[in-house]
Amino acid sequence: MMPTWPTASPPQGVPPSTAYAATYSAPAFTPVQVRQTFGQSYSAPQASYPTTHPYGPAQSPPPAPANHQPTAASPPTADEQPRKKVQWPDSVRSYVQRSFFPANMDPTVSKEEMEAKLKETIMRASEDNLLYSIVWETMPLPQQIIKQEREQRAKAMAYPAQVQTPYSNAPMPISKKRKSADLEDVANLSITPPWRTGQGARLEDRVTFSKDKRQATEESSDNTSKLNKYEKRQKRFNGGYVSTYRSPSPPPGDGPVVGTCEKLEKSYLRLTAPPKPENVRPPRVLKNTLELLKKKWKKDSNYAYICDQFKSMRQDLTVQRVRDDFTVEVYEIHARIALEKGDLGEYNQCQTQLKALYKLGLKGKANEFKAYRILYFIHTANRTDLNSVLADLTPAEKKDKAIKHALDVRSSLALGNYHRFFQLYNETPNMGAYLMDMFVGRERLAALCNICKAYKPDVPLRFVTEELYFESDMEAAQFIIDNGGQDLLQEKEDGTIVILTGKAGQTFESHKAKAFARVDIKGQI
Amino acid sequence: MEFGPALYHEFGEAWKTRDGYRLAKTISPELTPSQLSSIWQSANGAGSYKAARDDDVKASIKRGLSSSSARLDGIGQKEIKGWVEVYFAYWQAAGILAQVQQTSSWTNAYEQWKVLINALIQGYNSHEFEAWTIPCLYVAGKHLRLFAMQADEHTSVNDNSATAFQDDFDPELQKHQKLEDCARVLNKVFTICLSDRAPLEESRKWGLYYIVNLLFKTYFKLNATGLSKNVLRILTAGRGDMPDFHAFPKSQQVTFKYHEGVLCFLEENYAEAEKHLTEAWNTCHKDAMRNKELILTYLIPCHLITTHTLPTEKLLEPYPRLQKLFLPLSRCIKQGELHKFDIALQEAEDEFVKRRIYLTLERGRDIALRNLLRKVFIAGGFEPVAKEGDKPFRRTRIPVAEFAAAISLGSEEKVDNDEVECLLANMIYKGLIKGYISRERSIVVLSKSGAFPGTGV
Repeated sequence: MMPTWPTASPPQGVPPSTAYAATYSAPAFTPVQVRQTFGQSYSAPQASYPTTHPYGPAQSPPPAPANHQPTAASPPTADEQPRKKVQWPDSVRSYVQRSFFPANMDPTVSKEEMEAKLKETIMRASEDNLLYSIVWETMPLPQQIIKQEREQRAKAMAYPAQVQTPYSNAPMPISKKRKSADLEDVANLSITPPWRTGQGARLEDRVTFSKDKRQATEESSDNTSKLNKYEKRQKRFNGGYVSTYRSPSPPPGDGPVVGTCEKLEKSYLRLTAPPKPENVRPPRVLKNTLELLKKKWKKDSNYAYICDQFKSMRQDLTVQRVRDDFTVEVYEIHARIALEKGDLGEYNQCQTQLKALYKLGLKGKANEFKAYRILYFIHTANRTDLNSVLADLTPAEKKDKAIKHALDVRSSLALGNYHRFFQLYNETPNMGAYLMDMFVGRERLAALCNICKAYKPDVPLRFVTEELYFESDMEAAQFIIDNGGQDLLQEKEDGTIVILTGKAGQTFESHKAKAFARVDIKGQI
Repeated sequence: MEFGPALYHEFGEAWKTRDGYRLAKTISPELTPSQLSSIWQSANGAGSYKAARDDDVKASIKRGLSSSSARLDGIGQKEIKGWVEVYFAYWQAAGILAQVQQTSSWTNAYEQWKVLINALIQGYNSHEFEAWTIPCLYVAGKHLRLFAMQADEHTSVNDNSATAFQDDFDPELQKHQKLEDCARVLNKVFTICLSDRAPLEESRKWGLYYIVNLLFKTYFKLNATGLSKNVLRILTAGRGDMPDFHAFPKSQQVTFKYHEGVLCFLEENYAEAEKHLTEAWNTCHKDAMRNKELILTYLIPCHLITTHTLPTEKLLEPYPRLQKLFLPLSRCIKQGELHKFDIALQEAEDEFVKRRIYLTLERGRDIALRNLLRKVFIAGGFEPVAKEGDKPFRRTRIPVAEFAAAISLGSEEKVDNDEVECLLANMIYKGLIKGYISRERSIVVLSKSGAFPGTGV
């Protein structure tokens, strides 16, 4: 049985034409391409790392002598799991080859060890379905991994808390940052205390961006890895679902750590092993830390420092499993600061935590942050999460001023009601405007497209200024000029400036498309 | 089936006829606790609770399988060895499952069942299991997912030792721990089906869609639609060396198309969604009411967007739930009752949101608005005819205020003219109305021919 579809409206029952359907194309949120960069407004500092890989030749390696492609060369013919039918990507094959180049051989590492490590590396990647996502070109060779592990074992004796394993950031491919930078850090730590103050640490260590970006610039020529990275990112971020699988995580400790560290400040360092109590600050100390940081933020506004300090605070709270009103306060303050500085990556981490903390029934400014969350998902055009947020709201919450505002913003955009949207923009409670600023530009373009198509022959510039809530006619005119509409502005005899909407045609359409495409995933800058 | 001659006989028979489904029945956990415990005891030595040594059990299974398949063609020692592992794992699982109702040890059940499915995977990888046996993977995969969900349900959220080294804790981590693990195992199964290079007639690729459907269900539950997209991409890429989609069992086709359709739907790709959902609808068994209802839940909003059409009452007749869901809204759209539409949408919001169709149905407001404006246009009547016998034209110059009055109808809030213009601009931009607005004179000039495309005026 086929469903029959009567027409929606006409009492006469005239079937709608098909051509008509095709013209209807105004999704509430244009699905956006995931991009590698956040957007031009945040030109993240380019990494100062050399773009060539320190290990091994990236370009055309010398042909491998035949006798240096031992059993493991046709990747793992492992006896316990001979995946004879698996297709190994070329990148894996060349990785294996590279491992056995005489030039790359290390006298301190035996061939057996290498083969075992190689097998382990590839099998793990295969099991985790990362064969295509790992950037094999930059993956350390097995002998390097082995050596690293040895060094770390040695260091672990002295500083167990700061050990890095090559898989510490699994399931991500090993990044150079971890290898080159943090190992040095560990080395430094043997002389300087771990809680050295902010100035010592590099920016990259403190802010959450730069790694992916750096890789992107390195391998932008490599299409496959780009695609895979895209998938991987999607996997990590889509739908708010994060795979919680962490391959070889260190063995869990016996319980929460009880910190004994009395220092107020401590810079952030990612843990890969159980933390030592003497490096962890108990809540009592952290409370003083928070007061100190608040003061410092007011005085210096040094975001890099503040962000680093907050991250280490969050870490100390997590390892001690402190989840109380104080925890909420720390996250809320960090989230607000991140918002203010437009660091959406950190902000998103905080909001995810806050969501969970509120769910535990902890008090805080739940409604304020729920409202931000909605605005944030509008910005990232994340329909799935937006739907989940709607599903989670209680009737009482829907009546809350901030949440209602955010919901109204959402619905006004869904229905293309720019008039209402810009009214709401003008009356945003709390710090929501920081978020709305992120997408108000693209909505202005969308509205402008609308106006140009609908009004003829012209509209006064003042009308656009008011409808789209520009500060002044000047600002409105500048916006139009910036988006290629300089020829559309005209001064009439009576002195009013008008926009020749009838002549606009497709002027703003391409700018609009670009603006909507530019939403990067979860605002990682 | 108890471990004894009957099981070994069944194994032999299934082999003789190469009947995968019959073979799969021998490892089914869908049994009563007493049946399960008799399996457990059968290999444990005549009701003795004193556990036999594992090696003895394995040896006895091996003897049994070997004797019943002694005269079979094609079964090698290697294969027997693989099946011994499978049945051994099954036997242990039966022991746990027999008591799972009392002990609630679903986590153990899950872990043991995982051993079973891994034994199967191992069988295909290194013991030369043949492709006709893939129904065993179906049974194993299906129940792995069920056990995982049970295990997650029975796991207390307080065990969070795993979070100790993360910067932030993740409450979702515990909620779906086993199901996530299950997704990884199923992915492995997917890979061994996909990577089979044997000729199509004897390829494990025939198992693909069953497994993919299981994966979809799992990912949907995990709220990880992105991962489903990955699976789709892999399938599309490999489609060249796969059996024709329509050669797969129809039930698998329907489930697959449904999920594919919903995935497109969630991405707002309504044209694609409609294509897949329509195919699912057409292939669906006529009595599978629940499935048809699910398909319609997404197909109806799809149609509203792509063709601006609403379901008839006749179509919805057999589905009271869908009637409740869609009819009130449909009526408002048809009549162009904007305010009532808003109320209807709000009233059913929770249900719509739960089914993830709220954001789509919300856009039905455009159609309701179009219908309302169309009424205004028709009420405007005709221009006086200049000359006797001329075809009369409708009045096409309509003051914005008239539309404003219509939009404010039934609502307590007064909508100001600027907002009405904005709504009109949207209609024009979306192609629902043909014409333009004159800001200066505050009128709308509608097209003389087809001001409301597709509606006859």
